[in-house]
Amino acid sequence: MATSSLITDAPDNRPSNIEATALLAGEGRTAIGTGLKRFMWLLATLSVIGLVGIVFRFINDDGRQEWGYYAATLAWMLTVFGGAPMVAIAPAIAKANWVRPVARIASLGAIATAVIALLMIPLLFKLPALTEFSEVLGDDVRRKSIWFDSPRYAPHFWNVLVLLTLALVGIAMAYVMAIPDFAAIRDHGSGWKQRWGKKLARGFYGRPQQWEWLKMRIGITGAIYFAMLLFTNFTFSLDFAVSLVPGWKDSVFPFYHTISSFQAGLAFVIIGVWAARRWGGMNQYVGHEQMWSLGKFMLATTLLWFYFFYSSFIVFWYGRSESDSATIKLLVSGPYVYLFWTVFFLVFIIPWWIMIWNKVRDSVWGPPIAAFIILFGLFLDRIRIYVASWSAVPDDLELATTDILQEMPDTMWPDVFDVFIMVGLPALGLLSILLVTRLVPLVSLWEIQQSRLITKPIRFLRSHVMLVGKPD
Amino acid sequence: MVTAAERVSSHKWGMVVDVDRCTGCQACVMACQAENNIPLSTEDLYRQKRTFAWIRVERYWYGDFPDVKARFIPIMCQHCENAPCEPVCPVFATYHNTEGMNVQIYNRCVGTRYCGNGCPYNVRFFNYWEPVWPTTLRNQLNPDVTVRSRGIMEKCSFCVQRIRRGVREAARDGRDLQDGDIGTACTDACPTNALVFGDYNDENSRVSIMAKDDRKYTHLDKLNTDPNVLYLAQVDATGGAIGGHE
Amino acid sequence: MQQRRILDEFTINRELLRGNLATPKWWLPTVLGLLVVVLFGFTLMGIMFNRGLGVTGLSRPVYWGLFITTFVFWVGISHAGIMISAILRLTQAEWRRPVTRAAELLTVFSLLTALFFPLIHAGRPWRIFYWITPFDFSRGIFPNARSPLIWDPFAIGTYLTGSTLFLYVALLPDLGVLRDRTTGWKHSFYTVASLGWRGNPRQWRLQTVAGILLSALMLPIFVSVHSIVSWDFAVTPAVEGWHSTVFAPYFVVGAVHSGVSAVVTMMALMRWLWGWDNYIRPEHFDALGRLLIVVACAWLGLTFAELIFGVYSLEAPERALREMQMFTWPWNLLFLIFFLTAFAIPVPLWFFKRVRNNIAMMFWTSILVNIGMWLERFLIIVPGLSRKQPFVFTWDSYQVSPLEWGLLLWSFAWVLMLMLLFSKFFPLIPLFETKESQVFTTDVQIGRVTMPAVIRELD
Repeated sequence: MATSSLITDAPDNRPSNIEATALLAGEGRTAIGTGLKRFMWLLATLSVIGLVGIVFRFINDDGRQEWGYYAATLAWMLTVFGGAPMVAIAPAIAKANWVRPVARIASLGAIATAVIALLMIPLLFKLPALTEFSEVLGDDVRRKSIWFDSPRYAPHFWNVLVLLTLALVGIAMAYVMAIPDFAAIRDHGSGWKQRWGKKLARGFYGRPQQWEWLKMRIGITGAIYFAMLLFTNFTFSLDFAVSLVPGWKDSVFPFYHTISSFQAGLAFVIIGVWAARRWGGMNQYVGHEQMWSLGKFMLATTLLWFYFFYSSFIVFWYGRSESDSATIKLLVSGPYVYLFWTVFFLVFIIPWWIMIWNKVRDSVWGPPIAAFIILFGLFLDRIRIYVASWSAVPDDLELATTDILQEMPDTMWPDVFDVFIMVGLPALGLLSILLVTRLVPLVSLWEIQQSRLITKPIRFLRSHVMLVGKPD
Repeated sequence: MVTAAERVSSHKWGMVVDVDRCTGCQACVMACQAENNIPLSTEDLYRQKRTFAWIRVERYWYGDFPDVKARFIPIMCQHCENAPCEPVCPVFATYHNTEGMNVQIYNRCVGTRYCGNGCPYNVRFFNYWEPVWPTTLRNQLNPDVTVRSRGIMEKCSFCVQRIRRGVREAARDGRDLQDGDIGTACTDACPTNALVFGDYNDENSRVSIMAKDDRKYTHLDKLNTDPNVLYLAQVDATGGAIGGHE
Repeated sequence: MQQRRILDEFTINRELLRGNLATPKWWLPTVLGLLVVVLFGFTLMGIMFNRGLGVTGLSRPVYWGLFITTFVFWVGISHAGIMISAILRLTQAEWRRPVTRAAELLTVFSLLTALFFPLIHAGRPWRIFYWITPFDFSRGIFPNARSPLIWDPFAIGTYLTGSTLFLYVALLPDLGVLRDRTTGWKHSFYTVASLGWRGNPRQWRLQTVAGILLSALMLPIFVSVHSIVSWDFAVTPAVEGWHSTVFAPYFVVGAVHSGVSAVVTMMALMRWLWGWDNYIRPEHFDALGRLLIVVACAWLGLTFAELIFGVYSLEAPERALREMQMFTWPWNLLFLIFFLTAFAIPVPLWFFKRVRNNIAMMFWTSILVNIGMWLERFLIIVPGLSRKQPFVFTWDSYQVSPLEWGLLLWSFAWVLMLMLLFSKFFPLIPLFETKESQVFTTDVQIGRVTMPAVIRELD
């Protein structure tokens, strides 16, 4: 019996394309609510406080160990905002439909990576050069790094280049993914938005050839972004953490950093979906279907966080060599032991316990709770790693000459300027994203329109199901 | 793997090797082979790269022609407190006893050879073949030492049979054990007293006194194996100790 | 790209049961030929038990060589099953359907093969009962739970049990079909095996839920098994090139790489040998090819990390080891072959749609990948052992003996023979999955285009 004869129509309660266009591209978007305005002013104030904190950090500078919290904040921002676009890329490779509405929120994370690249510049003044003491101690005395026979300011130069490239590729990808929406704004919007929509749409009228071009560009920028994200995590984690600790030889650490970036990106998108529903009026476009899938992947990456952490832990614990024991002492059982256990619970145990229940994962409130806990826990994790690394060896000469960390540093607590930085810099990142959403719709209109075209609720025998077309 | 706090025995056996005194005569190697029923290292076995030398003497050249000199370093099982070979054996055939020695239980060994991979000093040996002695040499076998069959790992045991005999005889004669009562085969055979065996828990023993020497070092200390065999670096006539970490 | 065929149930039953209700002509000679090689392999094992491990090329310090390489290789191939059946089932990929049973089968048989190697390479294999169960606790003889060689049998045993259960649960509906179409002793056998399968809604629901539960439960095993095998090497600080934290994910991703390639090889063989053109179509190879590109690129990143950390630490011994492994004869040749076959030749080819849809090309590239992955394990294990630590007097190389090559050949013959024996009694392509995909897919018209569509549950 042919399947088509078993299918009958079912009522489609989803908002029509006209409603969606009006909400996302048209007149309904011109006014900005007072709540959002107040929130953006709050973020702006916090950003200024953060920048003030940086200035005072330069004034009250007692050595490299004071900059650990700054490095940790930047690392956390890279983790969260850098990892968010992956949520748009990865399911798109697998041609998943559920990701279509959230792809915009995910790709907007790339906007903040430009902010990170700029904010990294003050920190570079405090990162020691590889060959700083070679004139005194000999040509081959330098601290370990992947930049072998390096130019004089190797890690600094390469890290700026890598992070700027990541930002550029990310912004390019976010832009390309938004072109059809700019065209919609040009056609249905008014005022300054209509002018900007026209400029940014660059003559996109939805011709088949233009769609092909667009798909190809999205694919290419997505693939390059993935490679750049991996490479950025590699260089940032190695140059700003691992190479500052003598004797820390950990080949899985860049991948650990990357996986927690995927976990954080998923958390960011989940929180974005929650905010879009609560304050952005997007209830009919993003809902528990997105939460279900995002939550599933966030559970998987939470488990993977533990797996990657354990891969390094077991090798160090079993090996018992001098460098192995020193590394475990510094990062796990020594000056940051309480922080480590807090991180373990916040990033792994509690979110895992929340997310394994189907009912919780299939709701609109469950995954955001886990997402907030994970983001907070990952911030503490970055503090554990970067503050410990930056305070590991106090003097630069020692850093160049010591093979293995012999003495553990004291626990480094944040002072008031560190708190300014930790609060202000993420606010600046978030503010930059919110400013962009003044023009760009929070949920991709064209993705919703396309998914409306190829999916249809139907009745199959006695159950209500969805018919999903497979164009390729 | 046994911590100092857990040690209940009154002995902690160890060895000190004075590299400066070693002439490379290899009498220790021969004595060890004779004492411990070590399979013969024939030419065939050598070509298969499976020879046995529970203690081996490594020779390193240094200096430029015509002042070329050689340094001889005898290496045997270091009986590490933090031995990398111990946690990996699946059947506990090797473990750290309360006297500071890493012991091998021959009849427990299954022959996975994981301990051999784990040993950074390469002092563990595997019986790939059933060992064969010519009839003339069979009377030479030491009755106090197990003859190992094929499929078993073996290594230097600090001549544990001599230690047990020494302790037994002292108890039988009703006297305390003195430094020098017990000697391993290699330390007894060494003509220059480069190898010294004794009890670290006895503060008057030669090993305890030599352990305080400035020239003292241990091999591969970055691996944190904490060996019970200490080395005293060679003294160069031109001044300063050389050698040290290989 | 979909190349859907519309098939009715009678056609499906007839074509997919081709191997079971009647024996293909080539089946018996092939099995007999493989049996000869298998018996030859067992004879070699007998020789090794009788005369000792001296008949191999192993020496000191290269205590582990071809046997352990092959062990890790077969454990790696076993990861295909979970990848295809569990992960693709949980992500609802339609194209996995013809492949799931063969992939699970490859898992079970390759694990059985892998288990042989640590047993036969022990010095005294008849004493293995000290090592794995039963344990003699009453005499105070305990295994060393801290040894990775104790973790291995538990991990692999769990994986084997889970995979076998999964295979069996997925077999039940097809066993019912076979029971209803056979007579005599075969009928009695299938009656017992099908456990009273009637195909009513309750049984279908139980079978589906069991499949999903087992898939989810197997996922942690999927990650942990090869990680535990990798920790055999990673936990020893003594061997340079082994004590690296990236080993666990590196081995797992490498296992997926070699396992999925093995599934490609197997699918091509199945299509050619049994004439299943309607079920194993170029679109499946296309999808597998794209999956392989992703996995291979992840593998390349991890390989790069593992190799570069030798240089990163600036430690002279590890740098010297990497230099030997990559640039010195004979390792440089092996390294070049490894890199070409595992990545440089297959992956650029897979970028082209024409290559991905060409079954012969996919077959040969997948075989290249597995040659490369076997070499990769060899290059991880042996160079580090032969050049262990700076005691140059103990450095030595490794000559692989003919007996070891013979046993490598035996392992391939053993797996192939077991698969062919299985195919005689059980269908290699799941009938119920094929029928399900017929029911759940239809054509839908959108604008001027007619495209295939799939029925999905509302989330």
